[in-house]
Formats: sequence, C-alpha cells, structure tokens
Amino acid sequence: MRIELKPAATVAAALMCAITLIWTSPLLWMAVAAFRPDTGGSIDMASLLPPRHPTLANFAEALESADFLRYYLNTAIVVLGILACQLVTITLAGYAFARLRFPGHQALFYLFLLQLMLVPPILIVPNLTTIVRLGLYDSLLGVMAPYVASAFGTFMMRQTFRTIPRDFEEAAVIDGARLWQLLRYVLLPLAKPGLVAFSIVSVSAHWNEFLWPLMVTSSPENRTLTVGLASFTQGAEGGQQWGLIAAGTLLVALPLLVAFVGFQRQFVNSFLFSGIKG
Amino acid sequence: MSDLARVPSAEVGLPLDRLAALTRGGKAYLLLLPSLAFLILFTYFPILQVLWSSLFHKPYGQAQAGFVGLDNYARVLQDEAFQRALVNNLVYALGTVLPSVVIALVLAVLLNRSTRLNAVLRGLLFSPTLIPLVAAAALFSFVFMPRLGLLDYYLAALGLHGANWIGDPDIALYSLMALTVWKNAGYYMLFYLAGLQAIPEEAHEAATLDGATWWQRLRCVTLPYLKPTTSFVAVIALINAITSIDHVIVLTKGGPNNATKLLLYYIYQNAHEFYDPGKATAATVISVAILLGLSMASLKTLERGASHAD
Amino acid sequence: MRFDRRILAIVAVAAGLGCSFDAAAAPTRIEFFFPVPVEGQLAKEMTNMVKRFNTAQSEVEAVAVYTGSYDDTKIKMQAAIAAGRPPGVVLTSANFVLEYKLNDQIAPLEPLLAADGTDRAKFLEDFWPALHANATVDGNLYAIPFQNSTPLVYYNADLLKEAGFDHAPVDWAELIAMATKLTKKSGGNTEVWGLMMPQTYDYCGWLFSAFTMLNGGQYFNPVYGGEVYYDAPSTLGAMRLYDDAVHKYGFLPGSVTDAKEVSSSFFAGKAAMVIMSTGSLSFVRDNAKFKYGVAFLPRNVRNAAPIGGGSLVMPKDLPDDQRKAAWSFMTWLSAPEQLASWSRFTGYFAPRKSAYELPEMKQFTAEHPEALIALQQLLKFGQPWFATFNTVGVRQAMEDQVQAVLTGKKKPEQAVKDAQRAADEIMKPYVDSTAGALTHGG
Repeated sequence: MRIELKPAATVAAALMCAITLIWTSPLLWMAVAAFRPDTGGSIDMASLLPPRHPTLANFAEALESADFLRYYLNTAIVVLGILACQLVTITLAGYAFARLRFPGHQALFYLFLLQLMLVPPILIVPNLTTIVRLGLYDSLLGVMAPYVASAFGTFMMRQTFRTIPRDFEEAAVIDGARLWQLLRYVLLPLAKPGLVAFSIVSVSAHWNEFLWPLMVTSSPENRTLTVGLASFTQGAEGGQQWGLIAAGTLLVALPLLVAFVGFQRQFVNSFLFSGIKG
Repeated sequence: MSDLARVPSAEVGLPLDRLAALTRGGKAYLLLLPSLAFLILFTYFPILQVLWSSLFHKPYGQAQAGFVGLDNYARVLQDEAFQRALVNNLVYALGTVLPSVVIALVLAVLLNRSTRLNAVLRGLLFSPTLIPLVAAAALFSFVFMPRLGLLDYYLAALGLHGANWIGDPDIALYSLMALTVWKNAGYYMLFYLAGLQAIPEEAHEAATLDGATWWQRLRCVTLPYLKPTTSFVAVIALINAITSIDHVIVLTKGGPNNATKLLLYYIYQNAHEFYDPGKATAATVISVAILLGLSMASLKTLERGASHAD
Repeated sequence: MRFDRRILAIVAVAAGLGCSFDAAAAPTRIEFFFPVPVEGQLAKEMTNMVKRFNTAQSEVEAVAVYTGSYDDTKIKMQAAIAAGRPPGVVLTSANFVLEYKLNDQIAPLEPLLAADGTDRAKFLEDFWPALHANATVDGNLYAIPFQNSTPLVYYNADLLKEAGFDHAPVDWAELIAMATKLTKKSGGNTEVWGLMMPQTYDYCGWLFSAFTMLNGGQYFNPVYGGEVYYDAPSTLGAMRLYDDAVHKYGFLPGSVTDAKEVSSSFFAGKAAMVIMSTGSLSFVRDNAKFKYGVAFLPRNVRNAAPIGGGSLVMPKDLPDDQRKAAWSFMTWLSAPEQLASWSRFTGYFAPRKSAYELPEMKQFTAEHPEALIALQQLLKFGQPWFATFNTVGVRQAMEDQVQAVLTGKKKPEQAVKDAQRAADEIMKPYVDSTAGALTHGG
C-alpha cells in the first residue's frame, strides 16, 4: 500500500480549514446575505446557510438606490489615472536612485522614505486647502493629485533596476542609446515584473482609499466606490435591510476579489514584492 | 554611464570629472523633478503649512485669525479628548501590531508547505486585505450587532453571551482592533511566508541533525532569520495604526464617550466639525512629530530592507 | 465663392441661434444637500421629489446630494462653503440654524419673502407655532421648516397584552412598572427589553432633553445661545431615571444602542417598547409584523416633546442667479402639496397647517390615526429643539455623560456637573463676547 495515512497531518489540515472558515465568516455571510430575500428583522439574519430561495432583488435595489455604475467609473478613472502618472514618476525617480550617484542622493533618499510614513490623510488639513486653492475641489483630479509621486514605487523601481545587470545598459550605451531609449527598450521590458507588482499594489490601495476622496469630493457625480458605499450603508436606507447592505458591500468588494481569484499568483507575488525581498 | 560622460567632454575639452558630475547631478534632478514636485506640494510644504497655521487662532467674535504662539498646543494638550485620543491610539497601536504580527507568523508557519490546500487557505486568509476598510466596517457593523449579529448569534449557539461590542465604551476600542487585525493579518502573513522560504535548507537540516525538536528549531533557527521581516511588518502595522480611521468614521464616530477616538479622527473632527483649525493643525503637528519619531527609529530597518537585494 | 460664403453665413447664424438658445435654455444648476436621519427609504423618495421639481420647470436644475446624517450634512455643507462651492439649499437639522447664523454662514430669508410680496408674520402663520422658535434667530427668519418630528413611544401591543397592559405608560411611575414587568431575562441574558431607545450622538441628546422637559426642565435658554441648564434639578432627575432604568430595574440596555439595533430589536420582538422619532412611523408601519401602537412620552411633571426634524436653509453670498434658483426650489419644496406627500411617505409631520387641509392628507389621517397622535403631541406639548452656540459640541458634552451613566461609568450627580462644565467651556468664547462681556472700560 503506497497510501500513507498521516493522522497528525490530517488533523492539522482540518484544524486549519476550521480556522479559515471562522476567519472568513464575515465574507461568507456577505455572500450569502446578499442573495437572501429580505425578511426584515428575522432572528436568523446571521445564519451562514444559503437562502432557500436566492434572489437578485437586493442587487437590483442597491443599483437603484445608489449610482454604483458611476462610482465604478469614477474609481476606475482615479485608480488608472494615478497609476499612469505613478508609472512615469517612479520609473524616472527609480532610475535616478538606482544608477546615478549625485550630490545629495542620500538626503533625498531619506526624504522620499519619509513619505512612506506621512501619507496624505494625516496631512488632510493643509492638503485640502492646497486642493481648494488649485481649484481642484470636488474633482477626480483632486482625488488623484497627492498620489502622483510614490515613494514606495520609487523604491520598488530602484530595487528592480538594480537587479538588471549593467551589461545590458552598457551595451545599449555603446550602441549610442539616449536615456529615454535606454529606458524604453532595455530597462522597462526587463523591469516588467516589478512594474506589474507595483501596479497591483497601487490599484488595490487606491481602489480602497476612503478618507481623502471623502473630503475632496462633494457632488455625487464625483464619488468613488468607497465613499458611495459609506453613504449607502450609513444611510438609514440600510436601516435594517442587511441584505441590501450585504449586496452593496459585495458590489464594491467584488472586482478586486474576482481579480485576485483569477490572478492569485501575481497578486501574492506583488504584495510580497512590496516587502523587503527584491 | 561613464562611457557616455566621457564622450562629450572629449569633444568639448572641459575637465572630465567636473562635467561628468554636473551631467549626472543635473540629469538626476531632472529625473527626480516630477516626483519631487508632488512630494513637496503634498507632503513637505503641507508640513510647513500646519506648523504656521498652528500658531493662529480665530475665536468667536474676532474677525481675523490672530497670532497666539503656542496657545493652540496648550489647548490641545489640555483637551481631555486629545489626551484620550493619544492614550487610545497607543493602546490601539499595541493591540493591533502585536496580535497581527503573532497571528501572521503563526499562520505562515502553519501554512508554509506548498500543498494545494494550503494555497487555497492562504488565499482565503489574505482576502480581507483586498476589500476596502469601509466595506469591512459595514460588514462588521453586522458582525458586532448585539444579539442578532454574526458574533452574538454563534456565541449564543455555543451557550455564551455576547457583549455590546461597539456600544460599550470599555470594549469598543478592542472591537475595532479586532477588525483591524482581521483585515491585515493575512497581508502580513505573506511577508512571513516569503521570509520563511528564504531560510536556507541547510540551517534547518543542521538543527535537525543536532537533535533539535520542532519547537527548538522554531526558536533558534526560524525566528532569528525572520527578524528583518518582523521589523518590517511591525513598522507597516504601526503606520497603519495611526493613519487609518475609516472604520472609526463608519462604525463609532469616536464614541461611545471618546472610547474610540484616535488621533487622526480627533484632527478630522476639530477641523471639520468644530471648525477649530488652530486645534486641528496643532494636533496634526503633534501627530506628524510622532510619526517622524517612528520613522527615525525604523529608518535603518527600512533602508536595510530596501537595499537587501544589493 | 458666393455659394461658400452663403453657407458660411447660414452656418454662422444657425450657430449663433443655437448658442443663444442654449444660453437661454440652460437651467441654473444648484446642489441640494439632504440627510436621511431616520430609518426608511427616504433618500430614494427625496431624489424622486427633486426629479419631479426638475421636470416641472426648466429654469432650475436641482441636484439631490445625499449627505448622510444631520451631523454629516453639517460637515459637508461647511466644507463646501469653505471651499468656495456652496450648495444652493441644505436640509439641515432644525436646531443648527442658530449656530449657522452665529457663524454667518446662512442667508436671511426675509428679503426674499419681501420680493415675493409677503413678510415673516404672514409666512409663518401657516406653520405650527412650536416650529417658529427654531426657524428664527433674534426674530428674523433664517430657515423654512420642512420635516418635523417629536419623539414617540412605539409599543408592541401583543407583548403588552400578554403582560396584562392595554395602554402605553402615561407617567414615569407607570413606565417603570410596565417596563420592568415586560422585561424578560433568562440566565444572564435579557431576552426582551422593556424599553429601548437610540443612544447614539444626536438621538441621545434629543431624547435626553425630552426626558428633562418631561421632568419640568427647560434644558437650555431658548433666547440666548450661551446658556444651558445641565446641572439643574430637573436634568438630574432625568439622569437618575436613566441610571435606575439600567442599574436598578434593568429594563433599559446599559449600552449605546443605535437606531438600527433599536428598530431591529423592536421588529424581532426583543423590545416591548421603543422611543424613536415620529419620522420612523412609516418605517414601523411597513415592517412591524405584529399589532403595534404609538403614544405620547410619559410625563413626570408635565407633558412635553421637543421638536426634531429638518429645515431648509440657504448658504450666504450665493451669486444672484443661484440665489434665485435656490429660493424657487425652497419655496416649491416647502409648498403644502410637497410637505403633505413627504409627510405621508415618512411619518414626519408637515410643518404647514394648510398641508393637513388637503384632501389626500385628510384621507390619509383618517386611515392612519397614529399619524394624528404624533401631531397632537406636537400641537399640545411641542417644545423648541435645543440650540446653542456650537450646538454639536455642547450637545455631545451632555451625550458623553449620558453614555457614561448608561454604561455604569458615572453616577448621575457627577455626570450632570461634568456635562455643565464641559458645555460652559465650549460656549465660553460666545459668552465672553456677548452676555459675559464686561462693559466697563479698560
């Protein structure tokens, strides 16, 4: 018999499954309650068992009560806009830190490092004033503005560029390549894994951003998903219509979760990449 | 790079090193310009702005804001709500960093082997990180609902009775901490997984050969190797504990009775609800100072980590 | 050549005409900030109402912006004004009007009344007297009442009948007796609470001021925004009732329950009596699967009910076209037909007497007598809503103490003293520049 039964391992696996089940129960509830017809204040609201007669009514009502499609659009614009700008700034800055030894580079490096800590929300009071003065209040551009520079992305690109052997660059330079050609044809293609990793982290982070868009936007046309969801659930609309709240929350959380399921490896690697391992 | 610098100087005849340095310096700053512009606009200049604004106050009845020196700081430091916020944030930081780190480590160790089951479980444990904090807070407003919510419902099934998780001032902060740990532990687990994979096989083998038990191996081989990971995760968790208040806004609004008021929420409230920009900016300066202090302390760690690949 | 030039001319004229048509037809766009402070489908209905306004005329395009709770709406409004992008009209908590006026944020409405050929006295005549105080500051009109409420007792008639009661408590003695009997405990758990009420910010202060008034107290100085009577015997009595209700008799939860929990518990049969806004009347009607009733708040010294609800205000210094647009929207929204339909939909009262004369309203109140009970409480016993300088801060000064007493952290005597101290501290700048200002030189 080649099958070995390892009781200890099986028990451990079962235990882990149980722990994971408990850990993900809020998400499980969300998935189940969203399809449950609203019975209003039933004692078994918290049940994790799927409903006997699943319905899409909650989603229909959620989409009707709040302009989720518009929120999706706004969030997509903000997230992709930020990413596009960041890819430019971090490539240039990352290259500078990676390859160029220039006066003041150590001081500047620490300056960049500080931005990891001093995230825009903590400086919300002056940043809001700046946005208003620039005339960007209540606009998607205003939401994007503080995030164009990314210390985190700069470090990632610095790491990534440093892992590329200098031979490639030197060969290109000998061939007469200028800087932008060097970047475009040699370095960026080789840096793709880092860029992809960064993109995933950036998109996830800004998809989920709340306080800053909350303060910068005012009209419903400019709301992002998180702000829309908060006002949707806080409203007495939600009242005690938990099925509705679950459906709305699912609508907001779904895109990233689906992307994750489809691209699990890339997601995990990206978030890992955002750590110390180069 | 040196080749490129050598060519023009040979053509023009200027001193080689000088031109090379200038070219490199100028080029570097040009490349850094876009990032620097935004960093200055949204990070460094604002710090100067709050420092300046924190010296002014416009009390009721006065038409213009007047210079008050350090008065705002005195008012903030004497404000019971601020003192509470400071204490709360300290407790909150400890109560989220420590458990997250420990849970993340334990989960990573337990799920280290690359089986398909483990891959699925890891993914599931990581998924809370991907949903927005406000969405998590909306879910947890149900989880925490007394008697009828998820937690109390299943506790009742086990014969235990629940508490008023966010309505009781003694417990509310801990409930928020639980939410934060739930959300982030899976993310930190990833770092530990990576860290575990980096431990060379030989180290484990040597220990086993020496007759070390599983527990001894953990203590003497695994944990020391994971020190950099732990510092990194701890720093991230700390920053998170100070800068993330979405759940406070959605679930408790700083209550009940200031039990869940955190520093950033205090700032937000004073700036926007009580229109006291003097207090808000003074509190911001104090919070930024705390964050900077943390940065200095962990600067070395991050720098070391960031250049790890070198 | 000539052909081309003629085409060009035609195109130019057409373009010009098109432009001028656009200019003439382009409606003035204003934003309308509104909160949804009670349970129910209010945001959807309000958005529909605004749509009706927009289709009924073409000069003004009102954009309905849902802004959360009353407190959130205040924050949003102030942020928008500070950013130079004020909304046209805001539906705000009726008791914030004083504060907005003190902070010079809203426009006086009397010039606009005058332009319409009427004046304050005539205008307010159609509004219930209890609402006048919160709509005016120093005698000038600053707000138009839109939706009003008072706290109301909702009770589960079935549960009361089981316990042998056929009516809701009339006074505090009955309240204590009935609520205690209705509370069912098993083990360490309370299965059914005798009484539940929302104790979160805003609701808490409102209901507590109600109990103070029921105890004969005034709670605040309605003529001067720098004085509150937190540390007064009548207030202390109300605080003691709360304390006993939780710790001596055990019929009130000793925690900060929110409106969601209160209504969920009521519908699930886990709360025999609840005190909520009359604004939730329709919500209760739609969701209670048992026989329920409504009643006045129980008296101790007298019957009283502070009004609640929202009024329409207009931010100051709007450009001319926006001001006209905002006024036209405000007057439409506060017309008897709209007020009546909103009242039927929500459970709030219509602030205008004439709204109740409309045929649909008469029919409605005939079919739903509970709506009339709420109205009677307003007419007979309505009191102005608590409003001071920095209302939210002063309100929270008391709410924090109430929450501390409920959760057993403080004794009533200490709580009211601390509340008074905190409130005085907050109102000090205003007091120093008004009533407390020293008039002798130097």
